[in-house]
Amino acid sequence: MLLTLGFGIVTASILALSAVAFTLEYGVTNVANVSHGEILTVGAYAAYLTHQRTGSAIIAAIAAALAGGVVALAMYSSLIGPFIRFGATPTVVFIATLGMSFVIQNTLVIFFGAANVAYTVAPGAPHQVGPFLFTPLDEEIVASAIAITVVLFLIISRTKFGKALRAVSQNRELARVSGINATRVAAATFFLAGLIAGYAGFVLAAFVGSFTPYFGFGFFLITLTAAVAGGLGRAVGTMVGAVIVGITLEVLPALPVPFVGGYISASYNLAFAFAILAVVILVRPRGLFTSARRTVFE
Amino acid sequence: MTWNLFSAYLVSILTEGAIFGIMALGLNVIWGWSGDFDLAYYGYIAVGAYMTLVLTIGPASATPPAQYILGLQLPYPLAVVIAVATAMAVSLIVGSIALRHLRGIYFSIVTLGAVYVMYVIAGQFVPLFNGYNGLSGLFDPMGDWLGLDYQSYQYFFLGLSLAMFVLVYIFMARVSSSRFGMALRTLREDERAAAAFGRDIYRLKLKGYVLGAALGGFAGALFAAYLTAFNTSAWAPIEVIVLYSAVLVGGRGNIRGVALGVLIMGVLVQESTRFLPRLPGVGEFDTHHPQVLLAMRGVVIGLVLVLFLRFRPQGLLPERRLVDRQAAADITPRIIPTNSEASP
Amino acid sequence: MSAPAATSALEVRGLTKHFGGVFAVDGCTFQTPLGQVTGLIGPNGAGKSTAIDLISGFKLPDSGTVLFKGRAIEGLPPHRISRMGLIRTFQSPREWPGLTVLENVVMARWDPGRESFVGGLLGLRGEQRVRAADELSKAREILDEFGLAGLRNERAGNLSGGQKRLVEFARIRMAAPELVILDEPMGGVNPVLGERMAVAIEGFIAAGTSVIVVEHNLPFIERVTEHVIVMAQGTVIAEGPFESLRANQDVVDAYLGEMVR
Repeated sequence: MLLTLGFGIVTASILALSAVAFTLEYGVTNVANVSHGEILTVGAYAAYLTHQRTGSAIIAAIAAALAGGVVALAMYSSLIGPFIRFGATPTVVFIATLGMSFVIQNTLVIFFGAANVAYTVAPGAPHQVGPFLFTPLDEEIVASAIAITVVLFLIISRTKFGKALRAVSQNRELARVSGINATRVAAATFFLAGLIAGYAGFVLAAFVGSFTPYFGFGFFLITLTAAVAGGLGRAVGTMVGAVIVGITLEVLPALPVPFVGGYISASYNLAFAFAILAVVILVRPRGLFTSARRTVFE
Repeated sequence: MTWNLFSAYLVSILTEGAIFGIMALGLNVIWGWSGDFDLAYYGYIAVGAYMTLVLTIGPASATPPAQYILGLQLPYPLAVVIAVATAMAVSLIVGSIALRHLRGIYFSIVTLGAVYVMYVIAGQFVPLFNGYNGLSGLFDPMGDWLGLDYQSYQYFFLGLSLAMFVLVYIFMARVSSSRFGMALRTLREDERAAAAFGRDIYRLKLKGYVLGAALGGFAGALFAAYLTAFNTSAWAPIEVIVLYSAVLVGGRGNIRGVALGVLIMGVLVQESTRFLPRLPGVGEFDTHHPQVLLAMRGVVIGLVLVLFLRFRPQGLLPERRLVDRQAAADITPRIIPTNSEASP
Repeated sequence: MSAPAATSALEVRGLTKHFGGVFAVDGCTFQTPLGQVTGLIGPNGAGKSTAIDLISGFKLPDSGTVLFKGRAIEGLPPHRISRMGLIRTFQSPREWPGLTVLENVVMARWDPGRESFVGGLLGLRGEQRVRAADELSKAREILDEFGLAGLRNERAGNLSGGQKRLVEFARIRMAAPELVILDEPMGGVNPVLGERMAVAIEGFIAAGTSVIVVEHNLPFIERVTEHVIVMAQGTVIAEGPFESLRANQDVVDAYLGEMVR
């Protein structure tokens, strides 16, 4: 049980990174970017290739982040930005990002094939940390996740850019009128989100041990659950949502649940995630930290 | 009738096209008329297919090893009816949850979740539909009643599928011009106004939702007979994207457009990879992959979807509205007539 | 259950709604008489639109009651209230843009028989066909009255703002409710059209529909209403014929000089 809880903490950390990046993207554009998972996938491939050539995990991590940043920026500039400017409804852009996700996944298959790529980053020997059993890799993941989150919050709260980001997230029109170039801020935010998500992709691949062109999309579905549960666009809520979902996902299958029999696969995790999501959305349609009592029209 | 490779190919393409057309018409009710981007739709097709199979094939046995529910060996038409009813029941559950309070992307996300749960349960929970391996064994339903050999049966089934498509098409044309169809459209155009004029949004949407799902389930039942089998690889993402693209490209809300869209996407799927170059792989990755061709097709279709969303979201044949040709009633206007409306 | 005969079209008592810490509507109480045009005015932020939303079911009140035809309707969903005979418009015209003008008017009436799934499909039996034909000619008549006959096949979304307002009025005429609440119908509308609307409102009354008009445009209120209710800060501060309100100090204060002379 404690073992799975330990897994849960690591999963939750990675999920938190992915979810916060997704929330940044949503915040500045009001768009749920369905191809967000592909940023992680690209990060994983970039890390793998660099790691093969340089043998250094650090360089691989940086490559993953940069690749993620570039891809995310490209997503904004070539698709999301233009669609918003042309006045598409959020649903239309949502569908477009779904199409883009499909295109990216298939492009990766064309260049890299669909096979599972084994990615081993030596985890090191597990040792006791409090009641849990962690490997040095686990600790690095959790520590880096915390560090990145702290840096991110400092950027958002202390820098001029962060201020502009918050302004655009709250009210794009108002921000424009105040002289902020909303498009540039959004593009930069996507780059930043991509850095984080790309890194998350590297870390996830290293933790799981393998990846395919589709693995980002699967993780995205869980990310979505955390982000929506926390309240789309709210960074703190998302982090909390990520922690809750991440831990629940690892812990749930380990509980003695009779109907599942002995066969539990990773895919059930996602099904659980969505079941959680459906319940949350029904009870608190705008996220866990809002009030529910309203008609459809409010 | 000569039966060669070409005619076999043609027959199978046309049959699949007819079935696909029924799927698209069902999706059109939910996405085209009610205006809800429902990602759970393919799930109802799958329910129809799986249920048809477990109702028509024999009970699960140890050789070859397979586990699944039922196995009642019912006659095909009866199985189809039950399968459609099951699809409607499932859609009632999903719809009653998703349509009550959710709109826009929240609705889409929850339906995505619903279809994913269905996908996982169907594909992983072995006792239900034999898990990943799926079900098979539905050979030539009704063929032995009519005493048909293999070749004649293919033509028979083609005729059946086309006939079903035509019936569904006529039915949808009726619904489209009926007051029920118009009422669905008012929900799409402006929900608040619809409610202000007495429409129960939730119930109306739910009715449309179940209707669409019924068509999906029906198409799924035909699909199962066409494939003689069904498993989770039959509802791969590409199938789903092609279906939604067909409805979008052709023209949402317009059944002629939807039929056109099916035709176009069908051609596109078959022919799109004919002219593409062979692309090199990267480094140590195996480039001689049978999936590369499939992936290229995926890229083309994804791009078509995005381009249409950007440049022609109403589709090739936008929805047509009823034109009233009768001369206006001869009444003395009680209000001061001004033909030129000074704009406010 | 028979409701006692009502002498008022609408009775609102102690209606309250708050958002966050702010009370948009705070103990609002008023009555509007049957068969008349009642105005509802007040400065920006007085809570008029929220009150309308609460009355018509588009928002849930925190407390208070709303009696329509003697029956309590607070908390009911908008379509139920609409079916009982209370229809409202919105601050911006809410036509069904993808449908034609004629379709917009025809669909203004809720027809439970023909809009049910089965009814809609089993084709039109004789009696339904007659109803449908009657309805269509009634809709044409109304459009003619409003001078919109030439536009009847036009996509409603293509119309100008003023024309859309007229379509809304045509819809109201078609639906023939017992009470209609017009939410700032004069918003962005020129005076000529305003006169047309005033005549249309008289038409409503003649047809048996009581009217409540929420408006900022005070000359229009003066033109059409017999009784006016003034709201400020979420509650009613005065009521009476328009003339009497000019001299009312509370009203003047509330507007802080916004009154049009």
